Amino acid sequence: MSELFVELFSEEIPAKLQINARNELKKNIKNFFIDNQIKFNENFNVYSTPNRLVFHVDKIPNEIKLNSEEIRGPNVNAPEKALEGFIRSNNTTLEKIFKKSTEKGEFYFFKKESRKIKVSELLEKNLSEILTKITWNKSMKWANYDLYWGRPLKSILAIFNKKPLNFVFNHINSSNKTFTDKSLEEGLKIFNDFNSYIKFFKQKGILIDQDLRKKIIQNKINEIINKKNLKIEQNERLIDEIVNIVEKPAVIICDFDKKFLNVPSEILITTMQSHQKYLPTFDKKNNLTNNFFVVADIKDTKGFVKLGNERVIEARLSDAEFFWEKNKTQNLVKQVDKLKNINYFKGLGSYFDKIQRMRKLSSLISDDFLISKDKIEIASSICKVDLMSDLVGEFPELQGIVGGHFAKFQGFDKEVCLAVSEQYLPNGMESKLPKKMYSVALSLSDKLDSLVGFFGINLKPTSSKDPYAIRRMAISLVRLIVENEIKIKLKDLIVYTCSAYRDQGYDFDTKKIQNELSDFIIERLKNYLKEKKIRQDIIESSTFLLGLDDLLKAYKKSLCLNKNIKKEIGFETIAVYKRSSNILNTEEKISIETLGFADPGLFKNDYEKKLYKKIDDIRKYFLSIGKDENYEESLKILSSIKNEVNDFFDNVIVNDEDIIIKKNRLELLNMLCKTFDNYFNFSKIET
Amino acid sequence: MVYKTKKKTLSFQDTIFNLQKYWSKKGCVILQPYDLEVGAGTFHPATTLRSLGPKPWKTAYVQPSRRPTDGRYGDNPNRLQHYYQFQVLIKPSPKEIKKMYLNSLSSIGINYEEHDIRFVEDDWESPTLGAAGLGWEVWCDGMEVTQFTYFQQMAGVECKPVSVEITYGLERLCMFIQNKKSVFDLIWNDEGITYKDIFHKSEKEFSAYNFEYANTDNLFKIFEMLEEETKLLVEKKISLPAYDQCLKCSHVFNILDARGVISVAQRAEYITRIRELTKSIGKVWIESQS
Repeated sequence: MSELFVELFSEEIPAKLQINARNELKKNIKNFFIDNQIKFNENFNVYSTPNRLVFHVDKIPNEIKLNSEEIRGPNVNAPEKALEGFIRSNNTTLEKIFKKSTEKGEFYFFKKESRKIKVSELLEKNLSEILTKITWNKSMKWANYDLYWGRPLKSILAIFNKKPLNFVFNHINSSNKTFTDKSLEEGLKIFNDFNSYIKFFKQKGILIDQDLRKKIIQNKINEIINKKNLKIEQNERLIDEIVNIVEKPAVIICDFDKKFLNVPSEILITTMQSHQKYLPTFDKKNNLTNNFFVVADIKDTKGFVKLGNERVIEARLSDAEFFWEKNKTQNLVKQVDKLKNINYFKGLGSYFDKIQRMRKLSSLISDDFLISKDKIEIASSICKVDLMSDLVGEFPELQGIVGGHFAKFQGFDKEVCLAVSEQYLPNGMESKLPKKMYSVALSLSDKLDSLVGFFGINLKPTSSKDPYAIRRMAISLVRLIVENEIKIKLKDLIVYTCSAYRDQGYDFDTKKIQNELSDFIIERLKNYLKEKKIRQDIIESSTFLLGLDDLLKAYKKSLCLNKNIKKEIGFETIAVYKRSSNILNTEEKISIETLGFADPGLFKNDYEKKLYKKIDDIRKYFLSIGKDENYEESLKILSSIKNEVNDFFDNVIVNDEDIIIKKNRLELLNMLCKTFDNYFNFSKIET
Repeated sequence: MVYKTKKKTLSFQDTIFNLQKYWSKKGCVILQPYDLEVGAGTFHPATTLRSLGPKPWKTAYVQPSRRPTDGRYGDNPNRLQHYYQFQVLIKPSPKEIKKMYLNSLSSIGINYEEHDIRFVEDDWESPTLGAAGLGWEVWCDGMEVTQFTYFQQMAGVECKPVSVEITYGLERLCMFIQNKKSVFDLIWNDEGITYKDIFHKSEKEFSAYNFEYANTDNLFKIFEMLEEETKLLVEKKISLPAYDQCLKCSHVFNILDARGVISVAQRAEYITRIRELTKSIGKVWIESQS
């Protein structure tokens, strides 16, 4: 048993590309071993540092035995050339070729004897292709070469069974050497096995294994925060990025001048995280502190690294502070007029136009939400002013949040400030969801205005392109409604938004927008339900002929059925429905159509009567429930008809000789199905 | 090689001298700044045009760069509307370019073994040049001091061979070397002349011009005239003069942008117009290279 060990040395590959390349390699290597029926340790590892992409597979046999096999060649009637080609490609002679009849005719055959193949040879033959198969999300060329790679690839070290594997990958010849100095790309050294390789670098403080790096970084950070009584935010994405931009992690705790803590913390945090890849710290009450972590790639023996980073953050934070001080006092209300100079979108007017529409819309929503019309109108009016501030120019990702801080500083109502701050939330599937009604109202009106606008000027996303992230907007709208359990008349709101556009002179086709947007939003609801792991047939049923005002209902019903489908109430409900609808479907084919009105006067026995009575009871139940339907209760009631239905089918023959009786029985079954439609149309559910 | 790095702080001008000497020894043609207003060293025809086509090319030069929107009337310690870049362009990109770069840092007193030097992903794109590249920004103890880019596309044309571009932000670099918090405190020469002595007034006045006084009506007209002229010169197949007119267009656009008279939608349109000019010039240039 031997090990395969390969290192691809390159200039610094970005974190995301590294992670992707590791996954690609893992998949490709696994496929290679499986396709070639070579045993290997399936729990093998792929490692990376910015400069080294490494895989190490052990428990590989040195040889594999290929059983003898008969290889089919061309048909005996095929032109002679085909036979010649067959002989050549199998490296054999005419004498060894024989004819044999098969189901498909008579063919030439060649018997390949069982033989042994050296795995090292197979690897040398295939490694280049394994590497070629890596799909990079982003790749580049360099110098005169034609190879595409994440960043310039400099050397390949490849070892099998302690011996070098020799192959050519584009312009690079593999060897048993690598650069031990990644900076100057010097210090060529021979390695013959993975262990000594790992050991060598470990002695230099370099950790090839990313998981080990992560552990060490986290341990060091935890050690310090425990001592200092601090906390850090669990930010996996940032940690994973940091882990993959160092090979020799050194955690350094730094601080900045406490005076900067007067600047809103989001600004400080964004500066530290997204610009500098620092980890901010918080005290036990979750307040940001002036301590932060730098993960350097070098031991800071002279203290230069700490000093340098502190100077950098100081410069960045004084920039931010300067803008904050300058912008916070600029009167929001007085600036609203200036929004006329800022285009919202070509064909949809300025931001001033947009907030006029949003104000109307949010004011209408406020009636449904029972919140103050004045407050939501103020929030709508000032919500886009921060787009003109230097701070948003510097930190575009903080739009809204910065506006919220300005509003707070200028003494606006607390709920208004929060609404401004949360107006862009949620932003897609994963993002935080606003809960307060003012925030929800503002966010809803922002999104509706955008959706109606983009559909109005016919910039709908296509199946492959969505440059304005309109899908995300609609998903966010769906989330706002269903997750907050909001009951609104979305259809009316769309019509109203159209009229707000029309008031400004836009020639929008309300009917068309309403129809298209309605389909679009319901499609998003379907995607949303899919993300929530709802069964596809339940999604189809719950959204069948769905009206836009019933998003929340559809969501809750599908959630409820999904949860109960394997339990009695779900299972029985569907069974009863299916049993009835199947008969109706068969009869419909021979064109007996029913309307769902059975005539009790035509009933011949108690089973019919009992079933009728039960259906009637269920109908009364559905009539009695108002807006506060308990969907589990509904399922329970539907399923409770089970006995009546079973008795009916066991004792009554639907297919009566008298066509009138027969039809009436079918009407009864249709009545049952229609009653079940009060929940939703179960016909698409698969059993 | 002997560099002036001992003990005394390296002045701004010595930093330039050392970089010039270093890259000169590496075989680069040391050019002087281009004599037009440009936004970055990349716009110098020695980079844009020379990176196109098959001929090898190595150059290094200082380029004064203008970014009207970054002006702060000389009040901000980190921002300028006029600053200096030291630009290196080598085609095809050499194998040992990282080593060359790290050693260039040593030539200006930064020992890469004592500092946290990081190559942080930064893919570069210039919409007006129709250019794109992959590479990094180089951090020294958290401070961005260099842009390091492998050109993949220039003037809308795929680069073959690929050039590597190294752009040092001289002010940032010197603030690091001289340990200064404000750009205006940088020591320019051994006599103690500071950056403030030389540039503070111009920062103030140009900020006023860029943000308040530039005659936008005229600039709009000038843009049109320059654009027309560029197109005419492209027809005549003289790429270098055409490129000059295009650079002027680009600068006029930058001032208009700083004056805040270009809306978001218009902005995209102007950028497209400049890119189309660059592309047509690139075509003419390449034809002349084969």
